[in-house]
Amino acid sequence: MGRFIARRLLQAIPTVFGIMLISFILLRISPADPVKLMLPSDAEITEEDKDRLRTSLGLNKPLPVQFFDFVVQSATLDFGKSFYYNRPAREMIFERIPNSIQPVLLGLLVGVVVGIPLGFVAALNRGRRPDHAIRVSSVLLNSTPDFFLGLLFILFLAIQFKWFPIGSMNVVGVDCVFCWDRAWHLIGPVLLYANGSIAFYPRLIRTEVLEVLGQDFVRTARAKGLQERVVMSGHVLRNALIPVVTNFGAILTIVFAGNVIVERVFNWPGLGRLFFDSLIQKDYPIIQATLVMSAGLLLISYIMRDITYALIDPRIKVR
Amino acid sequence: MASPAVAVEATVRLGEERRASASFWSDAWWRIRHDPTTMAAIAILLVMVVLAVSADVLADNFFNWSFSRQDLTQSYRKPTLDDPAFWMGADNLGRSQIVRLLYGARVSLFVGFFGMAVTMTLGVVMGVTAGYFRGKWDDFVVWLVSTLNSIPLFFLFLIIGFMFRLNAVVLPLFLGAFGWFSICNFARGQTFALRERDYVTAARTIGASNVRIMSRHIFPNVIPLLIVLAMLDVGGLILTESALSFLGFGIQPPQPSWGNMLSDAPNFYFRGSHLIYFPGILISLTVLCTYLIGDGLRDALDPRLRGSFSAGGAARRGR
Repeated sequence: MGRFIARRLLQAIPTVFGIMLISFILLRISPADPVKLMLPSDAEITEEDKDRLRTSLGLNKPLPVQFFDFVVQSATLDFGKSFYYNRPAREMIFERIPNSIQPVLLGLLVGVVVGIPLGFVAALNRGRRPDHAIRVSSVLLNSTPDFFLGLLFILFLAIQFKWFPIGSMNVVGVDCVFCWDRAWHLIGPVLLYANGSIAFYPRLIRTEVLEVLGQDFVRTARAKGLQERVVMSGHVLRNALIPVVTNFGAILTIVFAGNVIVERVFNWPGLGRLFFDSLIQKDYPIIQATLVMSAGLLLISYIMRDITYALIDPRIKVR
Repeated sequence: MASPAVAVEATVRLGEERRASASFWSDAWWRIRHDPTTMAAIAILLVMVVLAVSADVLADNFFNWSFSRQDLTQSYRKPTLDDPAFWMGADNLGRSQIVRLLYGARVSLFVGFFGMAVTMTLGVVMGVTAGYFRGKWDDFVVWLVSTLNSIPLFFLFLIIGFMFRLNAVVLPLFLGAFGWFSICNFARGQTFALRERDYVTAARTIGASNVRIMSRHIFPNVIPLLIVLAMLDVGGLILTESALSFLGFGIQPPQPSWGNMLSDAPNFYFRGSHLIYFPGILISLTVLCTYLIGDGLRDALDPRLRGSFSAGGAARRGR
């Protein structure tokens, strides 16, 4: 097992290098000059001042040196100060993480709790009405853009039925993380996050359950007279749940992409919102930090997926 | 009991009565024609294409209202049958929504289909050559795909949208440039299997060049499932474009797109919910049609897979 993990980590090195290179190139070919962005346009600024700023930012060094600096910066998570707030980008990102994690985790939880049984029901009723209903709703959910679904939630559930507020994290003046006020505000974002998993899991589980049901060991279990309940929970469910664990990376990408949209629709001050705002304000250090850190997180989740896969299913290691 | 010869003759005659001979494609077309869901989806999509193409003609001659013409006295006008230009109401600036939706259809459909063409070209060329030549080139392609896969693509698109002013031609180029991985993986896997077939060996022994083997012997065998993936891809691209435009980093106003018509949604909650419903429903409907066509094509081209549901699985959000 140790060797497998070591090999997987070694394999990640060229990927990390590639991610760094692509992020670096992308941020350097940008037509916007960071020096111009940092300085007010109306003030009297001499070329000398601009040069001094460029030197202090390290922008006049040769490109390979800049790339090396960029790698060092990324490794130490030191991305410089926000142009707009003059605070370290890392600090600003870290203080937003808890805000984002709360609805994301709850949304995933709701999605798993609803999505997995749905997939099971669809598989056990293959070709019959529940299967069709789940299939149609899954296709419908998949073809509706997240932001439109969010807007529909707001129009119907928030404005019409007043189930939850149309945005923000707490009522003005209240500041708490685990309380009724926050729970009330969480309903909308959690529903929207859950939608991603509810559209995703039933399809996955259904395919997997059908495959496991056709396996010899299920026939053996039934043949030796085990109760259907035991066969289902002990033999089928366990094996069908493997892809739920291993597809966590895929779900995480959905969450990353959805994050910006959910937080924009519900005006939620989390990471996605910070990223969106810094794009509008052309706040380079934060943009750079978000891109590198989210790519790093995604890569870590992929590696962890492969390792859990190998732990659950020993056949993988042989490859 | 009939003798074997008579039975064979009877079968042959039966076959003659049904069709002279059914090629792979005519057989598939026969199945699609007898699949009402797929035919309905194709019809809806065709109507949309026709409307989108004739947007200029309709706006000038029928609605008498250009997509940028404003009339502030009509702002937030509810849908009415009195004036064709206001069949779907007017937006906050008093512009005709139905005309803007027509032009939006142009953007969505063009981005979807052109982006798909880019994705397919890149994915097939990279995938088939990697699978065919193997060795160093294959290693490079695999590294490229796994690297780009670890970057949260939606963030990347947002950054690109922030750096360049995207229009309906440049946007699908970018979406395609970062969206070919799943197609590439599929084509590569297929090519791995196909290059070991006897007919490929036969072609090589009579001196066929690599290009000829790839284009005439391998590529045609990949086409059927590629068409399915292509349709799913169109839907995914339309969704990504609308999400980017919704956030303000895709198609830029005054050019209307279904996504950017929803950017101001919070202003419409109480005054003009029709400005949210129509664009959102059109996006969902278009994407739904492409997914349904994709599913229908898959059933028609590979009946063994009938009943398993894939719609939007591979293509959606590059996830």
